[in-house]
Amino acid sequence: MSAAVLPTSSGGRELSNPPSDGISNLRFSNHSDHLLVSSWDKTVRLYDASANILKGEFMHGGPVLDCCFHDDFSGFSASADNTVRRFVFGTGKEDILGRHEAPVRCVEYSYAAGQVITGSWDKTLKCWDPRGASGPDRTLVGTYPQPERVYSLSLVGHRLVVATAGRHVNVYDLRNMSQPEQRRESSLKYQTRCVRCYPNGTGFALSSVEGRVAMEFFDLSEAGQSKKYAFKCHRKSEAGKDTVYPVNAIAFHPIYGTFATGGCDGYVNVWDGNNKKRLYQYSKYPTSIAALSFSRDGRLLAVASSYTFEEGDIAREPDAIFVRNVNEVEVKPKPKALPAPPP
Amino acid sequence: MAKPPNRQSLQMESSRGSLLQELKIIWDEVGESEAERDKMLLEIEQECLEVYRRKVYQANMSRAQLRQAIADAEAEIAAICSAMGEPPVHVRQCNQNAGSLKEELKAIIPELEEMKKRKNDRKNQILEVVEQIKEILIEIRPPGYDLSTVAVDESALSVRMLEELHGQLQLLQEEKADRLRKVQEHLSTLSSLCLVLSIDFKQMVGEVDPNLNETGGFKNTSDDTIERLTCAIHRLREIKRQRMEKLQDLASTMLELWNLMDTPTEEQQSFQSVTCNIAASEHEIIEPDALSVDFIKHVEAEVLRLEEQKNSKMKELVLRKKSELEEIRRRAHLVAEGGSETEFAYEAVENGDVDSSLVLGQMEFLISEAKEQAFSRKDILERVEKWLAACEEESWLEEYNRDENRYSAGRGTHLALKRAEKARILVSKIPAMVEALSAKTTAWEKEKGNEFKYDGVSLLSMLEDYTTTRQEKEQERKRQRDQRRLQGQLTAAQEALFGSKPSPLKNVNKVTRTFSSGPSRRPSTPGATSQSDSPRSAKSSHAYRKSDDGSGLSAVRRDLDATFMSRKPFAPLVSDSNMPSTPTKCNCDNAEEEIGTHKSCMKIEATAPVSLTSQAVVIDMPREMEYSFEERRAGFVVKSSS
Repeated sequence: MSAAVLPTSSGGRELSNPPSDGISNLRFSNHSDHLLVSSWDKTVRLYDASANILKGEFMHGGPVLDCCFHDDFSGFSASADNTVRRFVFGTGKEDILGRHEAPVRCVEYSYAAGQVITGSWDKTLKCWDPRGASGPDRTLVGTYPQPERVYSLSLVGHRLVVATAGRHVNVYDLRNMSQPEQRRESSLKYQTRCVRCYPNGTGFALSSVEGRVAMEFFDLSEAGQSKKYAFKCHRKSEAGKDTVYPVNAIAFHPIYGTFATGGCDGYVNVWDGNNKKRLYQYSKYPTSIAALSFSRDGRLLAVASSYTFEEGDIAREPDAIFVRNVNEVEVKPKPKALPAPPP
Repeated sequence: MAKPPNRQSLQMESSRGSLLQELKIIWDEVGESEAERDKMLLEIEQECLEVYRRKVYQANMSRAQLRQAIADAEAEIAAICSAMGEPPVHVRQCNQNAGSLKEELKAIIPELEEMKKRKNDRKNQILEVVEQIKEILIEIRPPGYDLSTVAVDESALSVRMLEELHGQLQLLQEEKADRLRKVQEHLSTLSSLCLVLSIDFKQMVGEVDPNLNETGGFKNTSDDTIERLTCAIHRLREIKRQRMEKLQDLASTMLELWNLMDTPTEEQQSFQSVTCNIAASEHEIIEPDALSVDFIKHVEAEVLRLEEQKNSKMKELVLRKKSELEEIRRRAHLVAEGGSETEFAYEAVENGDVDSSLVLGQMEFLISEAKEQAFSRKDILERVEKWLAACEEESWLEEYNRDENRYSAGRGTHLALKRAEKARILVSKIPAMVEALSAKTTAWEKEKGNEFKYDGVSLLSMLEDYTTTRQEKEQERKRQRDQRRLQGQLTAAQEALFGSKPSPLKNVNKVTRTFSSGPSRRPSTPGATSQSDSPRSAKSSHAYRKSDDGSGLSAVRRDLDATFMSRKPFAPLVSDSNMPSTPTKCNCDNAEEEIGTHKSCMKIEATAPVSLTSQAVVIDMPREMEYSFEERRAGFVVKSSS
């Protein structure tokens, strides 16, 4: 962690050289404090978050809608020019891993399967093998149709959760992609914004445009499903009326299993899903939270404060990336205190 | 007679001769025989020899005497020298030179005289010292002390002896000085003790030793005296301690009494000297007469007076304590067990039957007991207060909700609105409050081993009653709601058949009056919602959908949707009720939000952005297709073929 002293009311250290247009996603590496940021300005940038240095930049053909690390030296990107690209930081080389028929919305790399998985607005999911020789024909492992345009993806272990338009949710086992393991519907009534799997692999959190998050479980038994619940968040109550904001981002703390959500209200909240409590709310960011990511040790949280176009093309705050230190008290679960046993 | 004849001898010869001549004459005259004349001449010779012998003998004797005298003198000198520890200054040496005995004697006598004188001097010196020693010993040794050993030893008159004696004398003088000092100390201690105890010092001292009182006179400082002085001091100290204890006891009693009766400071002032010493130790009290018998008597009298005062105030005190006890009990909502005991006690005091201090003690005990109880109940009582206040608000809110005119713009409407909102939040917290309170009460009861009573009623039963009543109310409400829903559904179905579109708004108002009392939650806390159904798409039929939320509104809406057959942009797939799982929100608000939603749904043709009271929605899509923000931003349009 950096030795810089943060002013107490800040949202964290602001990274220099942020993208020049909206930030679509940001991710910490699993190996270091490197931060990969994809943006509507058609670039993918690599930062050293602790040192606040821009280490690399890759231009794409169109806005980059998602990005992920392969290892600490290379990554993948999903672009609105329908391409899936791979780039290597050290050498600055990049190539196109494959293409979709429509903009590629999500990209994930599965360490378990050794494959890149992409979801696109062409209503398909595609799996790619990056080890193969380059060229879209060689690398494509499979194409899996979805009921609707893919809006969000998340992986945990061998499980893949796909959230699409129309509130569909498909759960796949990466070892057998022919059929979804589960075909579900979002328990929320409004459009899905983001889906993220719990680090312990028992389920996933799903957020919607209506200021709500649902906590779902893979176990379809009575017992499993009885645990599921939803809660309202990122809402503002004024004169008896609620103003409801989309929840754009969910990020799980790698150690505690608690999670942060970011909404169009500009707030980041941290929740304890097991005890159903809100643990913390960070001070308001300049504009909507577009993306969140915890570092691998959970000590840093990267926040993309970037207008997400919820009200169309309007005048907006500049896009910024904040990296804040995470204090234990903000993310540590708080189990309910049990009544003291009789003496 | 080898001496040459001198005149005397010549004379004598001539006398002798003349005498012989005479004798011869005589004899001749007489005619003495030769034999006779020879015999007589022999006799005369013999007699003359005799005289000679005698004279020699005498001369011998006197010579012997002389010798003896010399020897004696010598011996005496030697003796003196030895006595004085000096080397014998020997005369013998002079003796060689002396010559005749008479000369010797002549020489030795003055020496002897000299020695004698010196011895005498020495002896006097020693005597002086010894006398002084004797003097001191008399002063510092007990009266029966044997002084006989202290005498001049004639045989030990040496300088060393003198020095020794001087040394002794000095030691004794020091000892004397020590003792004197000690005695003085003791005397001064004694004096200060006497001062404090107001005892006659002179008398005391006189008891020990009359001599000590003599000013400037001889002061006996023997062990005896010192011991007696020490004894006296001890005795007095003991007396002092006893008196002090007594006084301190009295002082503490006095303080108690002052405290009990709230004696004014002015009264207390006069006994300041006593109370300030209440914790003093023995050597700290030194003021004259501080512990005199009179003074102690004086304090005693005061204490007695105060006691009497107290007794007369006792009734008053008991009353006061009684009301204190009652107050404590009242505040802790305690009903005294066997409540009449205090009455009984009071009457007993009134009648003088019972020792009032006993009663007071009893009251004190009861009071402290009550305070303890109150303290242990404090936490629960606070919670009970909160709960009762919340119940009040709850009943106010029920009243309020029944009021038809509560939204009319009158004075205080907005205040009532505010109060209602707060009340709702409060009411939602009641079940948790009750739960926590029950838990705490149970724990308390377990710990104490008996029931927690609130003004005589078991608190747990109060809580139970409340919960039961509430549940009953809820059931009632639910039943009513279900009824109404059924009604509404029938009406809607009917009208659908006959083609009229009922306004959803009408139903909304009626239905959303009551709110469900699900488990209470705070806003922004995740709570379980009854979302066991999976919502269905609009393609579903008219079927009346069961939902746990029991909101009539949602039922109406759903059926409307079914009626309309097509979805409006951003219209929820299933009509959304803000699932009243958080009854903290007024359902009126829900209604409004729903209304808002509805309005936006209604305006199908709107091209301008209409807020869903959220910042989410823009409805200028060419088709009834949902798009994400990213799709809009990218200008992505779904091809009609897909």
